[in-house]
Amino acid sequence: MSNAFNTQLRAQQEWSWLLAIWLFLGGTGSGLFLLFLILGLPPYFAALSLGFVLSGGIILLLELGSPLRAWRTVFRPGTSWLSRGVFFVFFFIISCSLAIGPAFELFSWLPLSANGLVVKLLGWVAGLCALMIILYPAFFFHSTSLAIPFWNTPLLPLLFVSYAVLGGDGIVLLLSSSTKSILPRAELLAIVLIVINAIMISIYLLVMDRSGGSAKESVRRLNRAPLSWIFWIGVVGVGMLLPLLAILFIPSAVDTAGVCILIGGLLFRYCVLKAGVYVPFALVVGGPDWSKLNRTSTDFEREYAGMAAQSASRHR
Amino acid sequence: MAANGKPSTRGAVKWGVAVDLKRCTGCQACTMACKLENGTPPGVFWTRVLEKEEGTFPLAYKVFMPLRCNHCSNPPCVPVCPTGASYVREKDNLVLIDQDQCIGCHACVVACPYQARFVPSNDKGYYDEQTPYEGASYKKWQAGTAQKCTLCVHRIDNGLNPACVETCPTEALVFGDLNDLQSKISMLIQQRSHFQPRAELGTDPCVFYLT
Repeated sequence: MSNAFNTQLRAQQEWSWLLAIWLFLGGTGSGLFLLFLILGLPPYFAALSLGFVLSGGIILLLELGSPLRAWRTVFRPGTSWLSRGVFFVFFFIISCSLAIGPAFELFSWLPLSANGLVVKLLGWVAGLCALMIILYPAFFFHSTSLAIPFWNTPLLPLLFVSYAVLGGDGIVLLLSSSTKSILPRAELLAIVLIVINAIMISIYLLVMDRSGGSAKESVRRLNRAPLSWIFWIGVVGVGMLLPLLAILFIPSAVDTAGVCILIGGLLFRYCVLKAGVYVPFALVVGGPDWSKLNRTSTDFEREYAGMAAQSASRHR
Repeated sequence: MAANGKPSTRGAVKWGVAVDLKRCTGCQACTMACKLENGTPPGVFWTRVLEKEEGTFPLAYKVFMPLRCNHCSNPPCVPVCPTGASYVREKDNLVLIDQDQCIGCHACVVACPYQARFVPSNDKGYYDEQTPYEGASYKKWQAGTAQKCTLCVHRIDNGLNPACVETCPTEALVFGDLNDLQSKISMLIQQRSHFQPRAELGTDPCVFYLT
């Protein structure tokens, strides 16, 4: 019991693999959709991104204690980022479906043409929603940062965006046999994003290490135990070094690089979640006052009576 | 009528608890009283007493710290709730959870800096099958939804003190209206040195530790 007093640093146990998979699917799917818009990828990439975001939503339902009540999440968009996220996902599904529908000869009863202005507009609305689907988990984690200082940083949304686009790029590399024309750009983007991610993660961990307390403990958990294997081998080794080497030196292994990027993205999200350490929830200031240890109950009665009299005279 | 005989008018009452750390003997009577009163699931203690050995021989001693939900005036657990299940009861500032609205997303559990919220995964009880007592007491909460100390709101509404306060044999726990400057809790806070847990976070907890 002595080690479990109110100064104990304890990692959050509520969120684990399920939530990491949700972050991975939602982020990667949305990143892929942004790449679909920016790089002009074939429409089936957009369909794939829609599938990823939908799968992420289903995974999130599994995380809930009472999933049948999930519809109630629409009631607090004013304060809750989870509630806002539900709206972003909802609007993304609708606008993305309408934007890519004509390319798959769906929604033929609607006056939509594949290259029309309305479809393009819907595509950019879906793109905005995709960006928000990437960002809102970071804002949500920030809203809990009073308890977990490791998530209290503006770098987290940036990292989420960067990892989301990198994840989308990983899928493009994985399916590179069908995207030969954009492969050079996808490879360059992967290299740039991996370098940016490495720099941002370094700054993130350095800042958190310097801020001390719970945040320092979070960094210790990533750097030493118990998350060091997943972080150093999974996120850094498999997620950064291997894809860099594969893209730079083994041109035939770009699909492997894509797989490594995706694995690294999933493990990065897992590490961010599991490294969340609570602030010690209370501190006793100083030890006991030995001079007053021998007070009897009569002394206490007298003390309280004195306080009452003083307070009454003060407010008279 | 509230516990201290003061009429509870909307917004006028702000319930709080003062914990006299010099009186607490670490007997865990409050822990058991809460367990009995609220029938919390296995492994979940809405109130509990932490203890730690301090000092060296011959002045070795134990310090105790009773914990519960702080019913913060600015609770970080409420705005993160996506359904509105977590709310502040306006008439007396109690932070409560509507069990019928909670979806069990764990957002409030993580957002609480005091680790005072719990989400039990099932309601099987201590013996894999509910005893008659558990069957009756488990009606106060639902499996898969968030739960925490309510300051025994059902007792407060009937003019009684919370079970932990009523049980404490050393009167280390003092319950009362923080808005009433004449109440015992207000006078204790005025007169004694005290601290609020992690007050620097800006949550303004309604639990005061007298040192």
